[in-house]
Amino acid sequence: MIRYWEKRFKSGILTENIELDKEFNAIKKELKKSIKKNFAGSLAIRMVDSGSCNACEAECNALSNPYYDLERLGISFVASPRHADIMLLSGVMTFNMYHHAWDCYEQMPNPKWVIALGDCAKNLSVFEKTYAIKGVDLPIDYTIKGCPPSPKDIILGLLEFLRSKE
Amino acid sequence: MRLVARFAKDLIDSFEVIDIYDNDIKRYTLSKDNPTLETLTIKYPAALWMEKKINDEFGIIFKNSFDTRNTIKHEYFPKNIYPMRKSFSKKEIEFCDFKEYKYEEIEGDSLFVVPVGPIHAGIIEPGHFQFSQAGEEILHLEVRHFYKYRAIEKMCEGKKPLDILQIISRVSGNESIAYQVAYRDILAQSSGIEIPKSLKQKYAILLELERIIHHLTDLGFIPNDAGFGSALAFMSAASEEARRAMKKLTNHRFGFDTIKSELDLDYNILNEYLKKLKDDLIFFRDWIEDIPSVWDRFDTTGVLSKKNAIKYGAVGLVARASGVKIDCRDNDFYKSFGYEMQVGKKGDVGERFTLRIKEIFNSIEMIERMQTDSSESIELKDFKDGEYHSFIESSIGELFIYLSIKNGVVDRLYIRDPSHINWQLFHTTIYKDIIADFPLINKSFDLSYAGNDL
Repeated sequence: MIRYWEKRFKSGILTENIELDKEFNAIKKELKKSIKKNFAGSLAIRMVDSGSCNACEAECNALSNPYYDLERLGISFVASPRHADIMLLSGVMTFNMYHHAWDCYEQMPNPKWVIALGDCAKNLSVFEKTYAIKGVDLPIDYTIKGCPPSPKDIILGLLEFLRSKE
Repeated sequence: MRLVARFAKDLIDSFEVIDIYDNDIKRYTLSKDNPTLETLTIKYPAALWMEKKINDEFGIIFKNSFDTRNTIKHEYFPKNIYPMRKSFSKKEIEFCDFKEYKYEEIEGDSLFVVPVGPIHAGIIEPGHFQFSQAGEEILHLEVRHFYKYRAIEKMCEGKKPLDILQIISRVSGNESIAYQVAYRDILAQSSGIEIPKSLKQKYAILLELERIIHHLTDLGFIPNDAGFGSALAFMSAASEEARRAMKKLTNHRFGFDTIKSELDLDYNILNEYLKKLKDDLIFFRDWIEDIPSVWDRFDTTGVLSKKNAIKYGAVGLVARASGVKIDCRDNDFYKSFGYEMQVGKKGDVGERFTLRIKEIFNSIEMIERMQTDSSESIELKDFKDGEYHSFIESSIGELFIYLSIKNGVVDRLYIRDPSHINWQLFHTTIYKDIIADFPLINKSFDLSYAGNDL
């Protein structure tokens, strides 16, 4: 245990992009005024994979590593759509996931938004339409571009989305 | 004999079913009027999903199979179409009426069923798990997949071999390099060129780096699912550093689209990173060894017996942790760079966990010795018609790709992801474990859903 604490102190704080904190605090102030009722100062995200290659999910998982530590901004991934403000949708929307994704969307309380993660949802990325791909017809409010978007792209994308909601 | 894959091909006037064994290939030609074949599932249970997939996609019936339910055709998927046949060219199909899928469930007094998925609580891919429970104990688990079925094999048909490189990169994000290298090997065979040794070494370095990233991620998530969160914080930082190293080497965090005629790697960056990784890993190993509560959860949980591993033809680290000596890297090329097969014995979560640490150390050693300054290049062009296949050890296990080229375009692409085999034996490991151990066991396997579903 002593070794652990020694290592812990030596490595210090790894979290980067501290400058985002300031920006986010500024947005948060405005947010509080405009949609305080809806967000209560924090964003709850439900991640739904509708047929991606798993790279987008890996990058979302990376958001909670010490380098990015997304939760410090008040943005958290929740386990149920009923707790969520935003659906983060990755993938091409396959035939077999179509009804489940819509189910998930309908379970979310109003007001709700859908953010597309990666290029797949918008234009299938490098893939092509086949019989097994239905395509996304959920009402997408914002797209975070990239294949896959890096964790920093995702954070910036979320901030940009929040700004557009002011 | 170990069954590697069973898949079908449409030859216009007949069907062909091809069985790939580790040392043999068998071919059957079936008439189109009444395509039936004897099942392999009695001897090789892992043939089940392959046969079900063939049945759904081609309409070939396997006699005496113990399970004839649909697999890629889910509740709303029209049952009367056979999309992989050459005569099927629709890009759009309509939903059919809901048809219930009968799950394998155990019924009885005070027994109950826990359905999980397809959308899960965490940030993972979709798949369905149906648990039959007696209190905390799991009596049976049915794994149901193909929610992510994108029909990648059909998507690639009719395209020029070089045009599908980007798709191949993105079949399964975590194994991207392995897919690309396997496909590059096929293209090299097809154009009749030998891949220069230095280039082979460079791609092997990337392949090992990909393996390191995958293992590091798991080393964080496995203890986290046993309630030891600080290990995740530590290891997720380490895997982020590995991703950044990958980004510096290939200009992409996952190494997508790196098949080029030449490859320049910056060894200074790599070596600097590996030095830090080694220190971190030694610390991590010593640290976690001393946490008894973690090992209390790890030991004797999710045991895959050697007998089952052989019966199902398990591949990859999962098989090695159960004492099966199987690894595509077990050859002279890798051995000349210090490859040593890491084999376990117990086959439980703890064994898979320690094996991952050992494999990273071995990978580091190999990367250090593989570095070469000579730069040779290849040009992939002039693909001759024919059938080609290749095996690569991805971060999950043995990846098999088959490609048949006809008139200069892809006639049939078949991919057998290691997960396709390992998912099928997953339920054998979980019997009489408690349901709270499921995430732990699942993470210790760390299989791909996208690669399995295609």
